[in-house]
Amino acid sequence: MTLKMESHTTEGVTVVNCQGRIVFGEEATELRDTLKKLLASTRKLVLNLSGVTYIDSGGLGMLVGVYSSARSSGADIKLTGLGQKLRDVLQITKLVTVFEVYDTEQQAIAAFKKA
Amino acid sequence: MAFPTIAGSSSESGSGVFPTLVFVQGNEQRTINLDHSPFTVGRKVDKDLVIADPRVSRDHAVIVTENGRFHVVDQGSKHGTFVNGERVQRQSLEKNDRLEFGVRDIAYVIFNPQHATSNTAREFLSQISGMHISTETTDLEKLTLFLEAARKLNTTGVLDEILVTLLDATLKLTRAERGFVFLKTDNGDLRLAAGRSSRGEPMLDDKTISHSILEDALKSNSEFVITDTSQSLDLAGRQSIVAYDLRTVICIPLRKPQVQATREPGTEGTGETPAEVMGALYVDSRFASRDISSVSNDILRAIAHEAASLIENARLVQAEEAARRYQQELAIAASIQHGLMAVTIPEVPFARLCGRNLSCKEIGGDFFDAVNTEDGLAVVLADVSGKGVSAALLASTLQGMIYSQLTARMPLPEIVAAVNRFFTQKHIGEKYATVIIARIRPNGELEYVNCGHVPPLLVSGDQVTRPAHGNLPVGLLKDATYEGDHCILKPGDKLVMVTDGVTEAENANGDFFEDFRLEAVAGKGSLDEIFGAISNFCAGNPLSDDCTVVELRYTG
Repeated sequence: MTLKMESHTTEGVTVVNCQGRIVFGEEATELRDTLKKLLASTRKLVLNLSGVTYIDSGGLGMLVGVYSSARSSGADIKLTGLGQKLRDVLQITKLVTVFEVYDTEQQAIAAFKKA
Repeated sequence: MAFPTIAGSSSESGSGVFPTLVFVQGNEQRTINLDHSPFTVGRKVDKDLVIADPRVSRDHAVIVTENGRFHVVDQGSKHGTFVNGERVQRQSLEKNDRLEFGVRDIAYVIFNPQHATSNTAREFLSQISGMHISTETTDLEKLTLFLEAARKLNTTGVLDEILVTLLDATLKLTRAERGFVFLKTDNGDLRLAAGRSSRGEPMLDDKTISHSILEDALKSNSEFVITDTSQSLDLAGRQSIVAYDLRTVICIPLRKPQVQATREPGTEGTGETPAEVMGALYVDSRFASRDISSVSNDILRAIAHEAASLIENARLVQAEEAARRYQQELAIAASIQHGLMAVTIPEVPFARLCGRNLSCKEIGGDFFDAVNTEDGLAVVLADVSGKGVSAALLASTLQGMIYSQLTARMPLPEIVAAVNRFFTQKHIGEKYATVIIARIRPNGELEYVNCGHVPPLLVSGDQVTRPAHGNLPVGLLKDATYEGDHCILKPGDKLVMVTDGVTEAENANGDFFEDFRLEAVAGKGSLDEIFGAISNFCAGNPLSDDCTVVELRYTG
């Protein structure tokens, strides 16, 4: 298992920090379970991927899946800490039009306040 | 000419007839009885075993018998006779020896392979029962010996046969009238796995056994329980107990063999968790016919320990069998997928198409396909998320959907929208695919729709551009909408499409192949050169994802 997750709440927003690889298999499953558990008790989640070195197609599919089900139950997940590679992937797949991406964790948290 | 027949010694093969040869060539496997001597092998059609291969000599070798043993003798063949990989002139044969004649690996013969069936175990048993069972020590030794032998032989045995043999042994040694083996199913219930009478008849139902005794025995921590049905709660009410029906019951729980854990200080006296019960042996005998209550405790203990190992071993073998069969199924699935993925490239006067796929696994999620219609030559390249069987399954479905809609001349954006609807509606989890479909007309008009896929490369003379129009992948989001884009190709221009396995190919330093390298080689190079560049870059580092490259060249 090459993925480490840590979560904390600040200003009413749950922030999840990820470190490692988000790949099809154990890692994607663990992250999905963690996010789903948190979403049971929060509607505002910021996913900080600055420590993520690699996401594969399975990992991406999982993120979109969790995002969709979060949105359909009234919650929201904002992304931050994206490296160049991940930004490129989101650009090519047009997922930039789906996810809200912020340059810093602060900006993501602030965006929840404005809503 | 009459050949002398041979009676095989009964200790060599369980059935007491001839030793066998198993001949394997490619997919063909045949069993031949070695029922006469000399047994001839060669290329000539009148041989006992004809091997049709130019490397096999016409009169290659013979198998002869001498004093009850078999020998293979080379008859001066050109390419030699081999036993277990070593070239021989004359060699005596042992069970399971592998013989090759002139050719290696493609065709071979196994001499008298030992099929470890319960036949051999039964023979051993019959030897035991023939002996007079006198002292307890002898009983125990025989039982241990028998069960040891049965366990060793059990490398390919079937669970049911082992159970029956076990029951027979238990019945013989306890001298009980009838016996049953119960095994726990996955949901914890006990099911009757085998039943025998001391006369060797199968007992198919367990209505007359005491389930209450059985359950008590299982719950207890004892190695065995000897009791009688006058104590049984469930039978007492059901039938009138007459002395004739009273039975002595011996019930031996079968506990999964466990590695002995070292006992931690301070835990003595606290109840240990009993080893997991996997079933029970239940034998009984009517008072009136035989008294089995005085059977040796050592025997019962030995049965308790050894039987559980035996059954567990047989179960493991069954699981291995199941896994092997599953692997075979996967191999068949892989070959079907391979067939589906085989692309027939249509020949058109205005364009040339070529494509190649490099799989990193036997079964994968990349595919490309091509269809020629009145709307032009269409090429599809797709990459399903994930790997393995699930990706391949989706790939095949995707391929079928797109192919049929292209032939039906649906507009490209509608094709991918339909695929997206299908996959998002079907709740197949988080599986999706990136797809690119490009269609070129005779006049050079190129229409394409890119769904989340690596942007294609448009090579025109020295220029390499990346047409950037894109959409979401298919199968990801229910409400996604799709649009296509157009451009015009001049004669000599080509469109190169790749899957992300190419740009994400990694070398040992962790660098990726990336777009700039791809653009550099795709501009000038052919498919071979592109794959060559990837291979040189990776320098032996294995691919982590399938690589597909498709090139569509407009000739005009």
